[in-house]
Amino acid sequence: MSSVTEQQDGQIRRGDAGRPDGKATRVQSQHIGLHQARYVREEISTALRALLMTPLMTSAHPDFTAVRRHSETLREWFARETGWILNVERDCARLFKRPADLLDSTRGFPDYDRRRYILFCLACAVLERADPQITLRVLGDRLLAFAAEPSLNAFAFSFTLQTHHERRELVAVCRHLLDIGVLVRVAGEEEGFVHHISETSEHLHDALYDIQRRVLAGILAAVRGPSTWAAEEAPRDVEQRLQSLTAEHVPDSDDGRRTATRRDLSRRLLDDPVVYTDSLDPVTRAYFLNQRGPMGARLAEAAGLVPEQRAEGLALADETGTLTDLSMPAEGTEAHVTLLVAEHLAGTLRDGGEPEHQISTEVDITNFIERARERYGRYWRKSAREPGTQRELARIALERLRKLRLISMSANGVRPLPAISRFAVGQAEIREAGTARKSAGQQDHDAQ
Amino acid sequence: MRVDARELFKHVTAEKSELYRKIMDAFAAAKRQFRLHLRPDEVLGEAQWNAAPPRIEDLQGALAQLTEWGNLESQPDTARVASISDFYRARFLYRLSEGGEAVESALAVFSQALRRRAELQSVALEDIAKQLQVLRNLAQEPVFDAAKIHETLRDLVRVFEGLAENAQAFMVSIGRSIELQHSDTNAIIAYKKRLIDYLDRFIGDLVSRSGGIAQHLVALDPVISPLLQQASQRESRDAAPVQENEQEKPSTQSLDAWTERWKGLRGWFVSAGNDPPQGEVLRSRARSAIPHLLAVIAALNERRSGRSDRSADFRVLAHWFADCASEDEAHRLARAAFALNPARHFLIGAETSDLPATTPWNDAPPVRIHPRLREYGEMAPRGPLPRVQDRQAERERLQAQLTEEDREIQEARARLASGEPTRLSEFGELDRHGFQLFLTLLGETLPAQTHPDEVVERQTGDGLLRVRLEPLDADSTAEIATETGLFTGRDHLLTVTSMEARHE
Repeated sequence: MSSVTEQQDGQIRRGDAGRPDGKATRVQSQHIGLHQARYVREEISTALRALLMTPLMTSAHPDFTAVRRHSETLREWFARETGWILNVERDCARLFKRPADLLDSTRGFPDYDRRRYILFCLACAVLERADPQITLRVLGDRLLAFAAEPSLNAFAFSFTLQTHHERRELVAVCRHLLDIGVLVRVAGEEEGFVHHISETSEHLHDALYDIQRRVLAGILAAVRGPSTWAAEEAPRDVEQRLQSLTAEHVPDSDDGRRTATRRDLSRRLLDDPVVYTDSLDPVTRAYFLNQRGPMGARLAEAAGLVPEQRAEGLALADETGTLTDLSMPAEGTEAHVTLLVAEHLAGTLRDGGEPEHQISTEVDITNFIERARERYGRYWRKSAREPGTQRELARIALERLRKLRLISMSANGVRPLPAISRFAVGQAEIREAGTARKSAGQQDHDAQ
Repeated sequence: MRVDARELFKHVTAEKSELYRKIMDAFAAAKRQFRLHLRPDEVLGEAQWNAAPPRIEDLQGALAQLTEWGNLESQPDTARVASISDFYRARFLYRLSEGGEAVESALAVFSQALRRRAELQSVALEDIAKQLQVLRNLAQEPVFDAAKIHETLRDLVRVFEGLAENAQAFMVSIGRSIELQHSDTNAIIAYKKRLIDYLDRFIGDLVSRSGGIAQHLVALDPVISPLLQQASQRESRDAAPVQENEQEKPSTQSLDAWTERWKGLRGWFVSAGNDPPQGEVLRSRARSAIPHLLAVIAALNERRSGRSDRSADFRVLAHWFADCASEDEAHRLARAAFALNPARHFLIGAETSDLPATTPWNDAPPVRIHPRLREYGEMAPRGPLPRVQDRQAERERLQAQLTEEDREIQEARARLASGEPTRLSEFGELDRHGFQLFLTLLGETLPAQTHPDEVVERQTGDGLLRVRLEPLDADSTAEIATETGLFTGRDHLLTVTSMEARHE
């Protein structure tokens, strides 16, 4: 009898096992909760990264919805960690990334020179005063009025739109404004404007734009508007002007100053490839040496980066290579040359011993590239294979390395900085078909 | 003296027009004070000069010029003089000529029209309603009081004309007065408040009053023509006498005019045919003025979003860029001013986590660079893309597997769901799918059983089968052999009926 009951029980238990019981349901819902939390964290990180790459973001950006969804969290995070102000509106988000390092000259607009910056400013000045729509030609005409100010011409600046070259400059500025999202093209195109002077048929060689006021309003990131200074108080030289654009109020207390130092460091870590300890002033350095571990970890986690902590400094490296305007290593002849030069310089750093031996001249680099061309030249693009291009290639490679803070350049020559050792020739992994990985010793291609 | 009308207006556009206008203003003022003429020194003393008064010689020259153009008339001045120089000077008295007077009044109207502030009159609405009420009362009197009717109608028309004119000006100016260019922000904000209050009040009045006005108008409809007749007759009696055979004409003309005015008034408040009444149009116009104004305010706010004038900021910044000594300085300035630079980070290094923080970069493992990238400067090999693989065979194999499994399940179902009561002990052997199905059926059925001896009958969750489980004697046992082992338990009578079969 009893055995039968047991058997019956057995049946029942078997039957029950097919249904999810209460515990399983709870585990499952917990699982969904975790999953959702992870998803939210990832989305916030995506939005944060997108803002770091595109501080002035229009709704056309693929990650704009994420930014908008988490605007409050992001705003708090940026305010807490960096003191950067984040404005998110219906059609535009702006992160005012005030720089901590005012000495870095590699972070301006790409392909801009002084003249083009002036034109950019004047174009924005015109747009500020314009109606909601404007054409390239009208923009050009009004810009001419601003450009003709004698005070500007005193700086040997002149702009008349008479030559092909000048029209191309204006078009370049317009295209940049289109890229940023200040202008949206409605009709026409810019190329015709460059080639045809206004006497020919009017509408054919012109372009019509909508002005996105909110985006335009986000262009200027200055703490205090440059026009608000009275004539006698106005900053006189570049250093004062930089200060006037970026100086923020710091509360006069230990806590206030500490916060300012911390934010200063965070700004560098989030924006720059590497922060070297010896590049910091004593107060910041003391704070950095104490706090860099937790700081790096905190920032890296939020932004999806990996802290690379070394004796000489700290780099927040990115796994995907998307969080940078200049990636290394990368494909293409110039990137290849840059990589080879980096490896070469890393070699001199390793062997050099004394600091003065580590310094190379540009001629050394040029010679090195000439040698490298014999070996790798056939993979390079055709124009780089011609003799005589090595100086240009050397210039490009050094510029890239300088931008990544891997070298410093002075009148004496090129000095490799510690992080360049990241790009030393590494262990090559050789995998034979069907067998396990085998690690070969240091490979020296140049010796082969 | 024959005067060319164009000459009369010359002084407005002439070189010294300001002087001329001041003089003419002085004469116009004198005219209003019923003075007959002015002497040059009186003009000098009385005109409203902006700055220093002109020299008397210049003034006399101007007076002579105005006389020549026909704006003034002059006559020799015979009054006594006190000085020799005055005596030798040609002395004249000046007064406005007929043409000059016409020009003055025309210019006055002109400047008044230019200066007119567009406004909607709430008061006018009230007046109109009142007058219409009076008119209705008059219409009910047994004997028409022509004088009163005429007066009321005249008042009505005057008020209404004022209203219509103002409304017209309002519609035109509503867009113009909220012009953005060169507008003072604070003024606009203050104006916004006033305009919205005003429109609010007017629309309210228009709504509440126009209903009453329309009622009056409709009520007056049957009796209005005799009233208008009265008015026109009275008017034609007033008209200057003309020749006998034209006696009839002014009366008809005047009646037509009155009918037309009435029609206009009616059209304002009472809809004629499909067209909405004018009042309605005005109301919608006034309404649309509010969003228009708000748009302007929004644009202003956007402009003001910085504390300073952005356009001026950009121009100052342009100067700062121009003042940079080198391109590097310009780039630094650009970063500080615009802060638009993207972040810049290294690609990840090699094993990073397990290194002590004191490791120099030189001793840390370098970034793993793909040999291909290192050698060729590119990641993907050149040459054609790899061929697309044909997965047709694999797909077919999967399909066959699925078909086979499905067939087995169907078979198991067909075997169990016979519709016949079967003892578990008679089942014999069950294959994998059969046993799986059997367990599922038990699993679905048994929970409904509250007592081991109870008979349960249930439909499966998918609704395809009906299962009836009837326990047999408590000491009976059943054994089912399966691929995975022996299943034992109390014997039951199991009936599985396929619902599909029953429906068919």
